[in-house]
Amino acid sequence: MTPVLAIENLHLGFKGYTGYTEVLHGISLSINPAERVALVGESGSGKSVTARIILGLLQEVRGATIRGELRFLQHDLNSIGTKHWRDLRGTRMSMIFQDPTSALNPVFTVGVQFIEVLRRGSAPLSEAAALSRASALLQSVSINDPERVLQAYPFQLSGGMNQRVMIAMALANNPALLIADEPGTALDVTVQAQTLDLMNQLVASHNTAMLFISHNLGVVREFADRIYVIYRGRIVEQGPTAAVFNDPGHPYTRALMAAVPRITGGGIADIPDTSDEFLQPCVNHGSAL
Amino acid sequence: MSAVVQLLLRRLGISLIVLVGVSMLVFGIARIIPGDPARIALGPNATVEQIAKLRSSMHLDESIVVQYGHFIKDLSRGDLGMSLYTNRPVTLDIAEFLPATLELVIVAGLLMIGIGLPLGRWSARYRGRLADHVIRLVSLLGVSAPSFVWAVILMLLFAFFLPLFPIAGRISDTYTIERVTGFLLVDTLWAGNFQAFSNALWHIVLPAFALALSGIGQAARLTRANMIETYDKPYIEMAQAYGFSGRRIANRFAFKPSLIPSLTIIGLDFAAMLGNAFLVEAVFAWPGLSRYGVAVILRKDLNAIIGTVLIISATFLLVNLIVDLLIAFLNPRIRHSQRQTS
Repeated sequence: MTPVLAIENLHLGFKGYTGYTEVLHGISLSINPAERVALVGESGSGKSVTARIILGLLQEVRGATIRGELRFLQHDLNSIGTKHWRDLRGTRMSMIFQDPTSALNPVFTVGVQFIEVLRRGSAPLSEAAALSRASALLQSVSINDPERVLQAYPFQLSGGMNQRVMIAMALANNPALLIADEPGTALDVTVQAQTLDLMNQLVASHNTAMLFISHNLGVVREFADRIYVIYRGRIVEQGPTAAVFNDPGHPYTRALMAAVPRITGGGIADIPDTSDEFLQPCVNHGSAL
Repeated sequence: MSAVVQLLLRRLGISLIVLVGVSMLVFGIARIIPGDPARIALGPNATVEQIAKLRSSMHLDESIVVQYGHFIKDLSRGDLGMSLYTNRPVTLDIAEFLPATLELVIVAGLLMIGIGLPLGRWSARYRGRLADHVIRLVSLLGVSAPSFVWAVILMLLFAFFLPLFPIAGRISDTYTIERVTGFLLVDTLWAGNFQAFSNALWHIVLPAFALALSGIGQAARLTRANMIETYDKPYIEMAQAYGFSGRRIANRFAFKPSLIPSLTIIGLDFAAMLGNAFLVEAVFAWPGLSRYGVAVILRKDLNAIIGTVLIISATFLLVNLIVDLLIAFLNPRIRHSQRQTS
């Protein structure tokens, strides 16, 4: 099976005043069609930059040096050119952001923003047709009064509502790959759980592959088929979710799991911030498929 | 009641209060400064009786509060009194000279918006590149010299050394245009005389640019700064992640949120042009309100001074009102916060 996304030996570095700093040290990951893959790691481990490299956003930042193979569907992303890459964004690949309310433009109504996104997909679309399609999409994310939401500005809606709008927008053009960067971290836990459930169902029904970026192991365990654990720009462990959770092979993965507070109490285990052990080679559990 | 109407009414009320305050202030100052206006008006050969007669007809022998009362009573009838300088009603004088000034200021304002905003947008989009550096340098130049300096420089360069534009005036003497609004650009079109229209346009280019240059620089710098701030917002990254082109992001998604803070300052600049216009008009011999204003101030022509200042204040307030409404129109947060309080 050809993967939706295949990254091979990806390096990222930044040239700054103090010289060259490498941030990603050759990471490889692949996502199969309709598969939900999680990229887990602490802040600054390189999760979000990886997402932005896949979308082609970081390539436009001056001073960023990117090396490595990037294949998306049948495209070799390194050779298709920025224009073609841009055409893929919002149509074949799309993204959900961490804070839904600040990711929507404050001076345009949801409806206007939705129409813009829909017009990225199918070329000429009348306003009425776009609005009725937007309305249907909003209903699919359990918004009962889509007309009101389409006329509203993002600041008039709750965070959970905006998150649903974002999910509907992200899936509006039936992308092959959806990248979710810490979705709903800015929301409270109950709303986050609801919207994640919703996203999960929709991704399944659209046959969309998902790259789920998170530091929240509980969420990852529930929603991902496969996990990549990333630490300081290296993948340290990968494999099917159950395998990784049942038998974490890498010292860093074990430390990450021990860092999750438990409702049964006992406090958080004493974990060092860094350790030479964490730099051990990658533990591979193989593929579930 | 709609939020915008409510905002409009509130702003109108505030403007009225400001206008009353300005009238009191100018009225007070004009009466306090030394020199007898009646004596100045009648000249050195006037008799004591003549002066006393004029003083009493101008209510100068009464207390300042009573004088202000007379002034307000006349004003409510649309009467600003007689000018001692032209011997005509002040309202007539202002109606004659104001359109030329307004025409100049409006054209300069349009230049400021039409050139300054796109320059700032361009500069922000190509931040750190050559276009950005050039635009920043040029706008800094524009901001750093006052408009009358620009007036002299532009006149020397483009009317004297390189005679592309006329040196002075609003229109060539060969055209006689029937006065309808006093705005030559409108009146020539009204008369259907396109040759005269282009001639008037040709005359206004240099003074309008001289007046607009600092505003253009200011608008460009502000727009650039605001847009660069906007570019760091998550919704711009979202627009990039959805594959919108750089041009569309700059012209639509980043421009509209950035326009709101710029607009307030642009409105103030626009109003400040009314004052700067006095000097530019003097350089280009533009027959506007400035020549009249300066003349009446030097002659201590009380009614005319107060009339001129009031009209300029009213125009200033009107421009601010329009800007506020525009901002309310552009910024949904203002529109909707008004609705919640009602």
